[in-house]
Amino acid sequence: MMPNNKSISEAMLDCYQVSKNFGGLQALSDVNLRVKEGTVHSLIGPNGAGKSTLLNVITGMIVPTHGSVVFDGKPLGNVSPHEINQLGMAKVFQTPAIFPEMSLLQNVCIPALAARDGAFKLNMFDRGEGDPIESFAEETLAEVGLQEVMHSEARFLSRGDKRRLELAICIAHRPKLLLLDEPTAGMARHETESTIELLRKISKSGMTMVIVEHDMNVVFALSDIISVLAQGSIIAEGNPDDVKGNPKVIEAYLGEEQE
Amino acid sequence: MNKSTSIFSKYPIPIFSLVVLSFPFWFEYIGGYPGLDTKILIWALMALGFDILLGFTGYLSFGHAIFFGVSAYATGLMLKHFSPEIIPAMFIAVIVGTIMAFAVGYLTMKRSGIYFSILTLAFGEMLNSAALSTLQDITGGDNGLTIPDVKPVLFGIRMDGLSMYFLAAAILILGYYLARRIATSPFGLILKAIKSNQERLEYTGIDVQKYKLGGFVISAIYASIAGSLMVIYEPYVATEYLHWSTSGELVIMSVMGGVGTLVGPMIGAAFMLYFENVLSVPLGEEWLLVLGIIFMAIVIFLPGGFMEGLARIKKRYFNKSNKEEK
Repeated sequence: MMPNNKSISEAMLDCYQVSKNFGGLQALSDVNLRVKEGTVHSLIGPNGAGKSTLLNVITGMIVPTHGSVVFDGKPLGNVSPHEINQLGMAKVFQTPAIFPEMSLLQNVCIPALAARDGAFKLNMFDRGEGDPIESFAEETLAEVGLQEVMHSEARFLSRGDKRRLELAICIAHRPKLLLLDEPTAGMARHETESTIELLRKISKSGMTMVIVEHDMNVVFALSDIISVLAQGSIIAEGNPDDVKGNPKVIEAYLGEEQE
Repeated sequence: MNKSTSIFSKYPIPIFSLVVLSFPFWFEYIGGYPGLDTKILIWALMALGFDILLGFTGYLSFGHAIFFGVSAYATGLMLKHFSPEIIPAMFIAVIVGTIMAFAVGYLTMKRSGIYFSILTLAFGEMLNSAALSTLQDITGGDNGLTIPDVKPVLFGIRMDGLSMYFLAAAILILGYYLARRIATSPFGLILKAIKSNQERLEYTGIDVQKYKLGGFVISAIYASIAGSLMVIYEPYVATEYLHWSTSGELVIMSVMGGVGTLVGPMIGAAFMLYFENVLSVPLGEEWLLVLGIIFMAIVIFLPGGFMEGLARIKKRYFNKSNKEEK
């Protein structure tokens, strides 16, 4: 049943007939999602459409009732979060997930170490200071514009900066695929603008992204492809202009609220 | 106080060594007596290792008596039946303790928070009751393991008095040096990240389970060495060594001294033994009550323990000297 690896070689991520039931509730039914390499692919839809469930299926947090997920040619089934991450997938959470008591530099050193040394290495007597990983982490922090405060503790950052830090944690792996769960949720206008700029810059480096987002300004500013989920199924897919004019999409959204 | 702490951060190992090596020569002037100094070092070693687990990963074990006790029994049996030479005894004791740590750690580290603590406590109690019942032919049951007429030696040198003290001191200084190395290593950084945000760490490509187990085993090895030294110091295995109260005292020492600071738990251990053995004399029957009040006062007013107290004193009275820091 699983698609042949060769046929999807251009796809970074392939969700194949994914269904998920929670008791009697069908959260996802037969979802096929193909994310092409190097694209920014957004998932939109009204509340309860199944966006977060789909994202959790992709990261292995939820096991689908039916169907399979293939990432970069490798089927993901019963793979733990750190293994998925080591395969090259990183996730930005809805509420910033960082290491609050540690310095920004240490925050970014950890994923850099995971990328260099693998999921486990017994390097307990290695010198931490002066490790080349530190300058690498510094560069990564510079990419998101947090280099100047790299020695302060992460918990003192503003919400927007925490999000930037989390982004730095995620890109420090140089992942093939970056998943973002509402990257601008709770942000002020100017913070949203700078986040869009930052994400655009990251995507230009060739990183594939899947974004779940409510803010249509963000979605239309960034996306190459948009998939619209409603009641657990994908009802439309295409580039931003196609989706904007699609009557089914308008109906799905108008049924709930006017944008 | 400020002077010593700031110099300390510059030359931690030499200053630590100086304090430890000179300790028996001034200890009697503050009411100490020979032998108690060695005991303090042994407990300090265990508290130091415990801090690698509790202080770094945040996992509170109530079962560290397992490693102290099992290793003590192993050492006792080796001294009694094999040879009074301590190297084979310590070697076997640490091997046994390490195997124990892998088994207990593997089973308990799957849970976190209170569940982990309770599981370790349950394991400890199981072993304790096994030592007192099923295994009493080997362990000596309620009488403890007596080792009559055995004088432990290191390469033929009798280990008692000062020679025993300096053996413990050498091991503690080495242990402190290694603990500091671990603290500043990438491995230590990841252990501290477990305490900070375990979920993020998993989604950062780190096999958290293995790191946790690593931290647990390292701290258990410290406890095993301490347990072994205790029997070499005093060739007798008391039943309390495996009892949960040993684990409990270790937790109290760590909290009083300052969790996560490495030096703090060692100071906590020294304070507690000093209090138990020296200050308890003038205080009489009520010494435990006084200790309880001190402990509560520290938890309520100084959650960072003695080390936080030192930091506050430094900040208050020596603020001028480090203004440029903030």
